Amino acid sequence: MGNRQADIEAAIGGDSMASRLPVARWLTVLPCGVAEWRAGMCASPLLAPLRPGALAALGAPAIAMGATFLAFGAAVAAAGRGLGWALGASLLVYGMAGQLVLLQVGGVVPAALGATIANARFLPMALALAPWLGSGGRRWLALPFIAITPWAAAMRVLPGLPAPTRLPWFLGFALVSWLMAGLATAAGHAAAPLLSPLLLAALLFTNPLYFALLLAAELRRPAQRRAILAGVLLAPVALWLPPAWGLLGAGLLGGTLAFLLGLRRGGG
Amino acid sequence: MAEADLALALAAAAMLLLRAIGLLVAGALRPDHPLVAWAAAVSQATLAAFVALAVAVPGGAVAGLPWPARLAGLAVGLLAWRLLGERLLPALGAGIAALLLVRWVLQ
Repeated sequence: MGNRQADIEAAIGGDSMASRLPVARWLTVLPCGVAEWRAGMCASPLLAPLRPGALAALGAPAIAMGATFLAFGAAVAAAGRGLGWALGASLLVYGMAGQLVLLQVGGVVPAALGATIANARFLPMALALAPWLGSGGRRWLALPFIAITPWAAAMRVLPGLPAPTRLPWFLGFALVSWLMAGLATAAGHAAAPLLSPLLLAALLFTNPLYFALLLAAELRRPAQRRAILAGVLLAPVALWLPPAWGLLGAGLLGGTLAFLLGLRRGGG
Repeated sequence: MAEADLALALAAAAMLLLRAIGLLVAGALRPDHPLVAWAAAVSQATLAAFVALAVAVPGGAVAGLPWPARLAGLAVGLLAWRLLGERLLPALGAGIAALLLVRWVLQ
């Protein structure tokens, strides 16, 4: 199991480079016993189960999220809105498509409704993720953190982990990602005057590139391959729909088609 | 409360509701339940469509990058991922470097 976990964590970006980051070194104090904790040698034994997920979130996931949220922070500053609003959007909405709709669309109802529709993918994502988080009430701890990056990582890693370690792994990964999103937003808001349009564009492009790499790794599995190919092929549908509905429409159509094809072929 | 703040508060509440419905409905289901399989397929397809649109017809600042640069960024990123033992961090760096290089060549 140890090798398997190392493999999958490396595959989502929690590689050796990540473990050399300063935060990773700080995280090494987490998995310690009660005696060390009492002696002040570690942060808290309660946090130790979160460490594998937290370490996996460092590296490529953190860089991809950091780059995107940095660009968002800068865009908020350029729009003349304050740091509090930027942090609220990043940490409470926590889905870039909806955040951008909130920033760009005027009026209370159009902005809130547009953001909700743009991030409506959270519903199927939570549906797909929930069974892997256990049936107890503790799975509700994951509630604010269900977003593309933690979801994509969790769907790859959790099936290979023992059941008791799945929720802590997700919470560790999600907390680091969420904190990274907040820090990067604040940094982007502060650094807005220093960021050129080219740099902003490159930072924003990091996000789809990261997801493309994650999806490439999923192409080996038939069910995932069908869904990914259907999503790509039906992406143009989004161009025929109102902007806030486009992505959801393409995903619903592609995903349902892939699901039905899977049923016809007997699953797998 | 300003309009933007109210819109943010409403959207944040709606996000929690969407996530909560998913956790509530599927929390008692097995991972191989058809509803869960359908939701996973929809989520994967949505993510794939997001990537396709972000590369082919992006909005915002990314639209300012020429399409050959975006395509090169994606292609080099995927190639590097394949050639470098499927490691994400070097692949991400190679993709962004290719994007900037092609954009610089084309300008």
